[in-house]
Amino acid sequence: MPDVVHESVFNLQFPFTRTLGSTLSTFFSALAQGQIIGVRTGGRVIAPPLEYDPDTGADSGTEYVKVGPKGTVSAWTWVPEPTHLHTIKNPFAFAFVTLDGADTAMIHLVDAGSESAMKPGMRVEATFKPVDERVGRIDDILAFVPAADPAPSAGAGDPWDAPAEPEITTQDSFCDLVYVDNTSAPTLLWMESLLNGKLIGQKCPVCNRTFVGPRGLCCIDAVELDESHLVDVPDRGVITNFTVITPVQYPGQLETEPFARCSILLDGTDAVMAQQSILDMPASEVRVGMHVAAVWVPEAERDVSEIGNRGWGSGGDCISGWRHTGQPDEPEENYLERMM
Amino acid sequence: MTRTENDIAIVGFSQSPMVRRSQKTETEMLLPVVQSAIASVGLTKNDIGFTVSGSCDYLSGQAFSFVSNVDAYGAWPPINESHVEMDGAWALYEAFVRLLQGDIDTAVAAGVGKNSNSDPSTLFTIEMDPYYLTPIGADPWSMAAMQARAYLDSGKATERDFAEVVSRNRSNAKSNPHAQVSGDFDIDELLAADYIRNPLRRHDLPPTTDGCAAIVLARGKKAYDLCERPAWITGIDHRIEAHLPTMRADITKSVSTALAAKGAGVGNAPIDVAEIYAPFSFQELIVREALGLDASTEINPSGGSLAANPVMVSGLIRMGEAATQIMKNGKRRTLAHATSGPCLQQNLVCVLEGDE
Ligand SMILES: [Zn+2]
Repeated sequence: MPDVVHESVFNLQFPFTRTLGSTLSTFFSALAQGQIIGVRTGGRVIAPPLEYDPDTGADSGTEYVKVGPKGTVSAWTWVPEPTHLHTIKNPFAFAFVTLDGADTAMIHLVDAGSESAMKPGMRVEATFKPVDERVGRIDDILAFVPAADPAPSAGAGDPWDAPAEPEITTQDSFCDLVYVDNTSAPTLLWMESLLNGKLIGQKCPVCNRTFVGPRGLCCIDAVELDESHLVDVPDRGVITNFTVITPVQYPGQLETEPFARCSILLDGTDAVMAQQSILDMPASEVRVGMHVAAVWVPEAERDVSEIGNRGWGSGGDCISGWRHTGQPDEPEENYLERMM
Repeated sequence: MTRTENDIAIVGFSQSPMVRRSQKTETEMLLPVVQSAIASVGLTKNDIGFTVSGSCDYLSGQAFSFVSNVDAYGAWPPINESHVEMDGAWALYEAFVRLLQGDIDTAVAAGVGKNSNSDPSTLFTIEMDPYYLTPIGADPWSMAAMQARAYLDSGKATERDFAEVVSRNRSNAKSNPHAQVSGDFDIDELLAADYIRNPLRRHDLPPTTDGCAAIVLARGKKAYDLCERPAWITGIDHRIEAHLPTMRADITKSVSTALAAKGAGVGNAPIDVAEIYAPFSFQELIVREALGLDASTEINPSGGSLAANPVMVSGLIRMGEAATQIMKNGKRRTLAHATSGPCLQQNLVCVLEGDE
């Protein structure tokens, strides 16, 4: 027999493709060729460049200059245990590196071997990924390493003749976040009741409304509700609203034919169960006012792992759907003054 | 000084227990706190002219997560409501500006953050510059540590000074019933710990905290109806610096705090108590210098954000604590500070005064 779920892991992932604009396109196109550049604006060289002067907000223009590949460390810190966020896996430093020819620092990694090697004023030099692995992103620079020769970089400060049409104009990034939700107390009660084949709600002592799927509060009166406010509610009700969805075959979509998702007002309650599916009936025949009853999944197969704090009121994998009871419909106009 | 109908005061404050992991959702945490703040001034939800909250979709991992939090206000009949994707301190700023319009005389500002569901070092790395910092995994600890290193190298403080900030805040937190981390910590023992990010040790970093807070504001005569000794907001100012810390002239100074302090009139008279939102120990020293405070000002009697750091709420709590010093403890003039962004990028300063 499945049990309630106290914690659920939610993985939020989404890809971005960012447009870079003219200044960053120029910078990243040069970087992919192994050349770091800055922009001269407001009487100083900003590297890496920004499209605006951060002091004035003025357009920083197109007077690009070569900077580095050597530079000087000012502030630094040591990362003794790199994580999945970091691009090299051995202990390393983050540092402010002011590249030769630049007046502002770049934050990047310094692969210095040991923490004791790190000193303000130390000379470092950029190391690049192999040409065929560069994508025009800041980690095309693998890391800075202690400079073999502290002498100034040759050519630093020289003008950089930027092409009119930069080769690289977008940048891909991938957002990957993991959340571990702990199921809140009212949702645990809901899970338990679904596993037992019962529906429950909470009745607000102020407004007397019954909310299906306990939420621990009345959103009308802003009062907390607890186990003393639990009420059993019937697994039968009336469709108050619906929509018919024509499925698009995105990953994870199992439906192939148009299907209905309905709001169901259980008999004697005041808040609907939303997004419910109707069994054994074409979507085109679903209508407001129709009496339906829950069709329960066999007890041993019920599962509440899809219910969590993010989807209260859902029947999870305990109710397979709702079926028309055959009773005559209620008048449609009885359900006009409802949000759902 | 005679108050006018254009003067706005904090009159009520409530906060949740500050814990490492709450069993509640943000909405469940928020409801009793908002309602108890309102009840503490003898009002009910229907008396409130404007409600505004601060929270973060990335903490929830859910788009429009603040919409379900509106249930904590009892938004029927429909209410006048707003939201900022910022610490609740900025929600309070919006409520202050809203009250200045003069057509309403009460407002609630709230902040809520369930920080325990996610990993802060990952989450806050994606709020860095997306081109130059996020791809190299410039995590918030590393960013703060580089600022700390620059501060040490400037000769203005030592690692012992950092540990003293921690020890004092956590000792102060012993008398704060809401604190998450409190107690007596020996400075030499603190200094014996390993670095998490040189020169920062575990204790220099804020705890991860779930919590929320709410503040009731009132305008003019209404403030006296609701509170015996209102905490009048006599100055509030918010300034922002460049997002990339490398573009700031000197990260050992907080220019934006100094400007906000000037705008809020901090230097016009002595400050009895300052509540400073410094997520990393050494940042308290930077902010304190920028505020121009001398030794006569008591700093963080609540224990500050080293005692509890519910992100999206910590700044608002500073305002509530600073106001409580006036409303309940008879202090004359206090200050609340809030920060946001990497290496103290944004700073808000609020000066509160009680009547003579
Ligand atoms: Zn109610």
